[in-house]
Amino acid sequence: MLKSFRFLFLIFMFFWISFSSYADEKKLELPTGRLIDNFDEFVATFSSKKCMECHEDIYHEWEKSFHARSMVDSIKGIANFFTVGVPKEWQKELNKEEVLKCLDCHLPQVRYATERLALEIAELMIEAKKAKEAKDEARFKRAVAKLSKLNISCYACHNIVVHRAAPGWFGEPDPQTIYTANEDVEAEHPTEYTPTLKSAAFCAWCHGVYVASDGESTMCNTLSQSYYHGYISLGGRKTCQECHMYAKGRGHRFPGGHDLEIVKEGLDFQAEIKGFRYGVGKWIPAVNVEAFLTNRAGHRIPDG
Amino acid sequence: MTAKDPRSDKVLHQEKREFFEIGLDIEGRMRYGAWQIKEILDLTLPPIKTREERFLFTLPKDTKEAIIEVKTYYCIKGSKCDLIYSEKKEVTYPEL
Repeated sequence: MLKSFRFLFLIFMFFWISFSSYADEKKLELPTGRLIDNFDEFVATFSSKKCMECHEDIYHEWEKSFHARSMVDSIKGIANFFTVGVPKEWQKELNKEEVLKCLDCHLPQVRYATERLALEIAELMIEAKKAKEAKDEARFKRAVAKLSKLNISCYACHNIVVHRAAPGWFGEPDPQTIYTANEDVEAEHPTEYTPTLKSAAFCAWCHGVYVASDGESTMCNTLSQSYYHGYISLGGRKTCQECHMYAKGRGHRFPGGHDLEIVKEGLDFQAEIKGFRYGVGKWIPAVNVEAFLTNRAGHRIPDG
Repeated sequence: MTAKDPRSDKVLHQEKREFFEIGLDIEGRMRYGAWQIKEILDLTLPPIKTREERFLFTLPKDTKEAIIEVKTYYCIKGSKCDLIYSEKKEVTYPEL
């Protein structure tokens, strides 16, 4: 009897230990407000892979998006700012405040990095650019392997920048909460319904003229001004999400200028061609072409 | 827009229109750096508007026929352009 009891107790202990440690692994660990100094800890804290366990489909959509490549796809432009813009043109020291002028949008989590780690990440971008220029494939791959772990992760939009469109109104987001555009959510982690995620103003914070805390402006090729002044002002009423997210199940892939399907959707083309003879008495072969190119998008093309 | 001789494939006439933006710094000089650009010279296609482009040209006097092709390309980068739309028509000039 005692032997059976011991056996059952051991089995119980085995499963309890196994499942409790499994549960710990799955637990969503969110930032505590302290700054992170270690690269690997920084990556692990904000990795979208943590969300994949429950949101696999969305993770795979996001994985194909340019948000998932926000650093590796912008190496040249960002590294130029760090090596030319800040030190040579502005004669300033590269520090976290300057790094934020790019990474506040390209890697919003960098707000949780220490000054040292922010500079380590900046150095990685510089290293990748230098390696590419030197055509040193191995060196470039090493830098890119680390940089590809940095991106606009789930937590960036669903927490860090969620209230940026109106910080005075909403206040600072709670680091432990995942903000969502869905009203009815049951999750292991705290959630809060935030309709702002469905607004153009939410996207425009980064997809527009970025104004840093010192007043310096940055203009990337993703300006939203034409959306407000050339589309909304003419009666357009769609949000960014309606075309780039909700339509055709595009979801968190957010296709844009890199996706020929959506580019084609945004443009219409027609051409009328007529051959004739020009010049009375001379009758020279001539051609008249009338081409009509319509921008059906909610913003200028190219851009968006 | 290209006019070609269908027999020799020789280009008889060619024209193009480009829609893009030019970034300008605070001194009005063309720049590429996002941190340098403070103004935009906007030569892009504005939203929900149709742009009409007219091509009117003559061909060599002895032209009997020509293939006229109008193509729309979208260039995400200067080096990477994709064909989006294309219209083609053969025009003929019978002997007078």
